[in-house]
Amino acid sequence: MSNSVNISVETTCENQIREIAYDGTELYQPPPTLSESLAKCAARIDFSKTSLEDLKKEEKSAAAAEDDNKDVNQFQESLWPWDAVRNKLKDAYTEICVLSDVISIAKDKRYLVLDPLLEDGDDTKPIVQVYSRKKAISQAAQVLLSGAERLRNAHSEQRSRNISDFHIELLRLRQNWRLKKVSNGAIIGDLSYRTAGSKFGMSGTFEVTKAEDALDEEGAGNSANASTPSSSSSNNGMQPKASSALRVIVPAELQGVAYIKVITQKDQEDLCTAQVNLMGHGPNITAQVGVWQKSLEFAQNVLFCKELFAQLAREAIQLQAPIPHVVIGNQIRATLLPNIQLIISLCHSTSFDSSQPAPINDHDHVLEHSLHQLLREVHYKNSHHPFPHPASAPLGPSKKRMLAGPTAADREALLDMTKTQTILEQIIAQAQHIFMRKRTQYVLDTLARDVKDPQIVSHWNAMNSPTMSCVKINIVTHGYDAIGRTSLVIHVKERSLKCICRDGRVMKLSYEPQELRDLILCQINSHQISCLVSLARYMAWTVLSNSNHLGIGKVEPLGNASSCLLASPNSDRMIAVQIRCDPQIDVKVYIARSPRQDFFPSPLVPEKFWENLGGNFKEVRFDKIEGKSFLNKMEFLMASLTSNTA
Amino acid sequence: MAIPSARESLTLAVNNRFLPNLEYLLQGSILDTAVEHLMHRLKGLCDNVDTSPETFHDLEVCMSLRQPNSPQPLLLRVRRALGRDAPFQMRYLGQPEVDMRRPTLVRSCMDCACTNGILDFLSEMGFRLEFEYIAKGYMFRKGRMKITVSKLIKIVPGKQQDMANEPISQSYIVELSVVAPTGQENVGEEMRLFAEQLKPLVQLEKIDYKRLGNLP
Repeated sequence: MSNSVNISVETTCENQIREIAYDGTELYQPPPTLSESLAKCAARIDFSKTSLEDLKKEEKSAAAAEDDNKDVNQFQESLWPWDAVRNKLKDAYTEICVLSDVISIAKDKRYLVLDPLLEDGDDTKPIVQVYSRKKAISQAAQVLLSGAERLRNAHSEQRSRNISDFHIELLRLRQNWRLKKVSNGAIIGDLSYRTAGSKFGMSGTFEVTKAEDALDEEGAGNSANASTPSSSSSNNGMQPKASSALRVIVPAELQGVAYIKVITQKDQEDLCTAQVNLMGHGPNITAQVGVWQKSLEFAQNVLFCKELFAQLAREAIQLQAPIPHVVIGNQIRATLLPNIQLIISLCHSTSFDSSQPAPINDHDHVLEHSLHQLLREVHYKNSHHPFPHPASAPLGPSKKRMLAGPTAADREALLDMTKTQTILEQIIAQAQHIFMRKRTQYVLDTLARDVKDPQIVSHWNAMNSPTMSCVKINIVTHGYDAIGRTSLVIHVKERSLKCICRDGRVMKLSYEPQELRDLILCQINSHQISCLVSLARYMAWTVLSNSNHLGIGKVEPLGNASSCLLASPNSDRMIAVQIRCDPQIDVKVYIARSPRQDFFPSPLVPEKFWENLGGNFKEVRFDKIEGKSFLNKMEFLMASLTSNTA
Repeated sequence: MAIPSARESLTLAVNNRFLPNLEYLLQGSILDTAVEHLMHRLKGLCDNVDTSPETFHDLEVCMSLRQPNSPQPLLLRVRRALGRDAPFQMRYLGQPEVDMRRPTLVRSCMDCACTNGILDFLSEMGFRLEFEYIAKGYMFRKGRMKITVSKLIKIVPGKQQDMANEPISQSYIVELSVVAPTGQENVGEEMRLFAEQLKPLVQLEKIDYKRLGNLP
């Protein structure tokens, strides 16, 4: 039993809607009648296509083109459905008639003859292709061979001549210097500091050429060896051994060697000398790269020195100093301190003189480096401007000026922002400071040498600025460091000193060395007394009084004597100490005993107890007392005067 | 010596062509994937090769005030640098000058540094917040030209400092600008020549804001 279901297959039989009436009824297009469908199919026959595959292809494209064709067909339908078929059949009939006419005429052989076509086969024979390719490849091979030949020649030439190639030299030159090629083929280089921020007017352009013509000239000039250019280098022992394939031509004003000499002079004698010279800075690549590196470096050095000197000279004329600066020729004289002058001169020697004396041994590296650094700082400030933050702020103003608005800076603050110190002012300040520092060191050293009793120990700060240094001075007595120490700090500035004592006193001294000397002597003075006071306490002696400024004796230029009065534990002895420091430390010690030995009762003063009022003070020959130092002597003195209580 | 008032000084500066009050601008954009190439190019073309490109991280807030006489509100932009101690900058940008011959966009521009209370001050005056965004990127300079390559980051309101804020798009906006006084003629030419050197990485051109549509 098969459970089969009857399925009926029918077409949708839906016709296209032609029109929808306003009341919703749809008017269908009546389905095409048989004759209409036949006419449609016949119209689609293309009599020009014969094979089945073409027909199938046509079907697909026809389905796409049907929509376009529908419009066309709509117009043609009005004519006649079979019109297209009729036309195609008529054309086919015409062609068949023509064909039969031609065949009948050709068969007659009177007016038309049919000849078979010669089989020409392939248009291009493979052999022709092979020939053409062979010719092209041989041409390419020719080009490559000629190039290889040139390279081989150059290589062998290079090995035989032992001179490095122009191009390799040019590459090395380009790695170190800025070069560019100009329109007429010459190579121009720039050795100025313009890209680093310099605004100097002198141009630093040099030209690079091949050295063959130069070597040939030298070879021709030497009558002995005119043949090989390589041997000309071995002729003169003066010339550098490695001659290179390229030559640099520097402008005439930059040739030679230049340096800036900085001398501090005191009444016609040199105190310290410095030479500013850029040679010896940076890695030395001269050996590897040849002669031109040295000449370019020298030329750049000359340019730098000229710029530095021009800047200094300009500033020297513009600045208003209490003693005006003098600019004569290539020398600038500025006064640092009375009787002390700073002389900056530009020394430019155009002839390469091997007998030139070596730089003077008293070389002040600090001034040399400072001048170099100062000009580089100017260059840096010219090129590196601070970036605006936030990003929409204007380019240009410095950070301080950007803050000037919101922080309500007044006119004076704004004007202060524009003031900068020139290079000359800075170098003068540095030179003054160097001088002050040397002088202070000298004073302290001579005092330390001369005064042996309390020892003067000075510690200079390792870190300091170009215009300020600090020194800490400790005054101690050897063996009694634990008892007392006087310390003070001295700030050495450009033209003055500032001294800060332990007790908080701040004193400003001028550049005269005598003032410092006097100060130290006074400090020694007070050191002795204060140590004595502490020592007395250790020895159980009572300090009756002490004073830093007694105000007795003749008027001294250097303050007054300081003194101390001590009493023994038993109160039977008294010691009075007086220390003056004009011109050397002068110590006077007096002792007294109580009760007095020389009391005799008299009718006026009958009672015995009046002998307890202290006796006269007798001076002690202090220099004869045993002891290494003042405190040592005082200790012995006090020890000897301390009596055991009975 | 009579010290001129601030208003007199300002008019003197403008009349003597000393105060920079015109901004010349060219803008373009570049995808994130290609921005490294642009940075290398700019590093080579611009000043100060030795210092690496300067980064910036700014928050810009645009405030607007309705004016009774004109339909256009007055726009003021306040920009501050995040993560750095710098004063706020307030900027006024005028309408761009319609001049087809100029290669760049030209509009009047006034910059001013101000204290931190500027936003409160403006809101007290009646300004309302129009929009805000964070711009983060790099800054270069060549002569008087300033080139910024920045990424714009959307701000979730209330969370300006949140690092997880996402960028608006996968590209960087490149701007070339010069602020100069009136009367300088060759600024546009200079900028155009520089922009030529950055092609085809980024096409810097003047954007016609009117054509951009109905942006406020």
